[in-house]
Amino acid sequence: MTATVEAKTEGTEGKVGAVPTFTVTLRIARYDPEVDSEQHWESYQVTAHATDRVLDALHQIKWEQDGSLSFRRSCAHGVCGSDAMRINGKNRLACKTLIKDVNPDKPITVEPIKGLPVEKDLIVDMEPFFDAYREVMPFLITTGNEPTRERIQSQQDRDRFDDTTKCILCAACTTSCPVFWNDGQYFGPAAIVNAHRFIFDSRDEGGSQRLEVLNDKEGVWRCRTTFNCTDACPRGIQVTQAIQEVKRALLTSRF
Amino acid sequence: MSATTSETNYHAGPDAVSAKTSRYRRVSKGRGNFELWSWVFMRGSGVLLLVLVFGHLFVNLMLGEGIHGVDFAFVAGKWASPFWQTWDLLMLWLAEVHGFNGVRTIINDYTEKDSTRWVLKGLLVASAVLVLVLGTLVIFTFDPCVDPSSTLSVCTGR
Amino acid sequence: MQTHKYDVVIVGAGGAGMRAALESSTRTRTAVLTKLYPTRSHTGAAQGGMCAALANVEEDNWEWHTFDTVKGGDYLVDQDAAEIMCREAIDAVIDLEKMGLPFNRTPEGKIDQRRFGGHTRNHGEAAVRRSCFAADRTGHMILQTLYQNCVKQGVEFFNEFYVLDLLMNTGADGVEHAAGVVAYELATGEIHVFQAKSVVFATGGTGKVFKTTSNAHTLTGDGMGVAFRRGIPLEDMEFFQFHPTGLAGLGILLSEAARGEGGILRNADGERFMERYAPTIKDLAPRDIVARSMANEVREGRGAGPNKDYVLLDLTHLEPAHIDAKLPDITEFARTYLGVEPYTEPVPVYPTAHYAMGGVPTNVETEVLRNNTDVVPGLYAAGEVACVSVHGSNRLGTNSLLDINVFGRRAGIAAAEYAANAAWVELPSNPASLVDGMVEGIRGRESGERVADLRRELQETMDRNVQVFRTEGSMKEALGVIDELKERYANVVVQDKGRRYNTDLLEAVELGFLIELAEVITLGALARKESRGGHFREDYEARDDVNFMRHTMAYRAPLAGEGFGAESALFADEVRLDYKPVTVTRYQPMERKY
Repeated sequence: MTATVEAKTEGTEGKVGAVPTFTVTLRIARYDPEVDSEQHWESYQVTAHATDRVLDALHQIKWEQDGSLSFRRSCAHGVCGSDAMRINGKNRLACKTLIKDVNPDKPITVEPIKGLPVEKDLIVDMEPFFDAYREVMPFLITTGNEPTRERIQSQQDRDRFDDTTKCILCAACTTSCPVFWNDGQYFGPAAIVNAHRFIFDSRDEGGSQRLEVLNDKEGVWRCRTTFNCTDACPRGIQVTQAIQEVKRALLTSRF
Repeated sequence: MSATTSETNYHAGPDAVSAKTSRYRRVSKGRGNFELWSWVFMRGSGVLLLVLVFGHLFVNLMLGEGIHGVDFAFVAGKWASPFWQTWDLLMLWLAEVHGFNGVRTIINDYTEKDSTRWVLKGLLVASAVLVLVLGTLVIFTFDPCVDPSSTLSVCTGR
Repeated sequence: MQTHKYDVVIVGAGGAGMRAALESSTRTRTAVLTKLYPTRSHTGAAQGGMCAALANVEEDNWEWHTFDTVKGGDYLVDQDAAEIMCREAIDAVIDLEKMGLPFNRTPEGKIDQRRFGGHTRNHGEAAVRRSCFAADRTGHMILQTLYQNCVKQGVEFFNEFYVLDLLMNTGADGVEHAAGVVAYELATGEIHVFQAKSVVFATGGTGKVFKTTSNAHTLTGDGMGVAFRRGIPLEDMEFFQFHPTGLAGLGILLSEAARGEGGILRNADGERFMERYAPTIKDLAPRDIVARSMANEVREGRGAGPNKDYVLLDLTHLEPAHIDAKLPDITEFARTYLGVEPYTEPVPVYPTAHYAMGGVPTNVETEVLRNNTDVVPGLYAAGEVACVSVHGSNRLGTNSLLDINVFGRRAGIAAAEYAANAAWVELPSNPASLVDGMVEGIRGRESGERVADLRRELQETMDRNVQVFRTEGSMKEALGVIDELKERYANVVVQDKGRRYNTDLLEAVELGFLIELAEVITLGALARKESRGGHFREDYEARDDVNFMRHTMAYRAPLAGEGFGAESALFADEVRLDYKPVTVTRYQPMERKY
């Protein structure tokens, strides 16, 4: 039921330096449990600028064509992690994906992220994802008396876990993982990334507890190093590498 | 609903909305080092198998007359030596367990229902046991002189 | 309808809300309601840092920090509050570090600090390194760290619960107390009544009244609007901060840290124009001054780009390795959204609506004021929604992250301690009637105007008329549009009539708050016939301490909850303005020069 698309450039009429506009078709997976028995596709045409993001196109649809289209979004510049979705088969943040970068000559498909229960249109139930996150004890664990001033940490030690502090819990990685798709029992890359952030923090004393959690049947050993998570991460975190570092820490008990 | 505020309870208190679909609800799994050792085994057996398999291929296909020299007598000659018996036994067990574990992983990754998973794993275990038992039996009970009219030197010398 | 009962209900799960929750949940039974997920809150978008006079890298003390805050706010700051904030800043930073926040470190392993706009040594001598930071993601780290600690403590969250009404009732002492809140559950469309002894508002700002803004789509002033409709005044709403360096055309924030690390603003001629406007600290002058200077360059024809409508942020003289270490995210924004490589090209920037200095008036204990002196027992506010007022007429960079931590903590403690001793206040009869009437009124309407059209008109008029430069004429024009929008709002229609995740309906409700607050902002600005901090009148360019060294207090007639129906008027006919004196302790107003 896809409409064929002519994503033609309409030229740069008007002022010099004006951004070119073009027409693009979005094919969106729609599902409203109040009326639909199953997911179906709908196509929408929007006029986009070269600087527009997929989120702008979704807004244009919601605001001008079909107000019932539902999706989450907040900051709109890739730091809040609300709008992870599957765009042309890849997990991305809609607010960080320029339309011109996802081949607007063909219809752009937009689906909810995979492996979590779909609640409506592009909205999924995030609770299983946060359950896994909470299980890895994602917080600083220390013992003994607190120092009066800050804890001392060298910049070198700080750099060891810098990459994994960037996580915004958007779930793009976890829901790009084929192992997670299967039954959702695997902890998933995001939970492991957040465990990594503390395991390798020199101030933390809960590393072995977290490693024990991740040694679970559904822990790091289910990772097949397909690198889907690393490709999906909108923050550029080397997710697979972080998972491998946790495996190494489990094998060597050194972290 | 009551808030758990105890500082030692590191597992979060109840959230307002919990996963509604049971398929997605995370169920607590057993701990232990099984998956760790299974992971280590796959790497270790993989490396060993490289040596064993290529050694096997080299001896069988490259040395002497190469593939033309492989016949009943050749095999019989090899298995007369405890060295080659051990080599082949190792190769059999490592390859079978490595393969078994790999398929187990694939079953875990791709089956969605517990029942399918159990059926497939049952078949897998049965086939692995069959191959291992038969293979081991062959290696140790192999009788080069099973044919009474054999002209092989090990038999004729008897 | 469901009813819940908690000692403390916190509305909003950003920095202030979660900091309050960490205090309150260890003391008493606490629920945190948020219309998002906690980690989606806009605290996470803050970049540059959080100032505290730790003196880790050079001499500093909190008294200098207080002076900078007062001067930065153009003397409209309540100085007792600023003293508390700057004094408690040190502990606030140390507390975060102990909770696990990964600050950048000095060679000795202490928390590193860097320069930031308006922060100076010894009362304005030179820029000082006071901002504690984690690359250019300090807000992200604060939000994550606070959420992590909420997980650790098992704080009870109600995610995607949109609070639409504040319940008040007369207590035993004959005074109006806070009694709870009414929330709309996005997932189901169900209405929940939360009865509480203390209610803490930590709902953030209202940047979406403007078109070009660094704020999230969800920052629609809900908390301010809810309180205002129930008769709580709003203080200093005309003071809105425009951040100098938003990505041109998009408004996405590029931290002041870019200039703190050595970035320079240039006009089309390549001139470092800030040398003319603030000879001493140049590009690191407070935000209002830099934003106005930039707008002035563009207005006088020295803007860059094909339409001469922006200026340039030049980082090209900095080492790429230095940029990567200290400013990774914002350079990524420039690449992603404008296709500009900051290593080699200057980045197009223009001021973007950033922060509401005003809000729900509170005292330093974060208790909400019903007038210039009396508090509403059981009602607290902290963060951007509140006006303590530590920011006066212009907030200094980094002081918002400080505000949420210092006053969020105070709010959590105060609310819990009040709840421990207070008696329950009865809920009003039919507590959900107002929300019910409002929501069903919108949902039930069959034809009318689109929410997006009204919102666009509002945002465009606010950008055109009530932005960096304001005049009586421009503001009267804006008020004309707002008046018209107030009437047209009664006809907005939503296409989605369902109950589950009805974000269409949500946007319609949000628009109501935006219109209401835009009016308060504009009326306050029109009445303030002077220029001070973030509020600049071209028809009254000087600061007028004789007539306007005072806070604006805006009041409206409260909505009656009982009997509110689909046809009832939401907006008040009249907003009444009053004034409140500024608390001055040590620093007498001086001319503000940098």
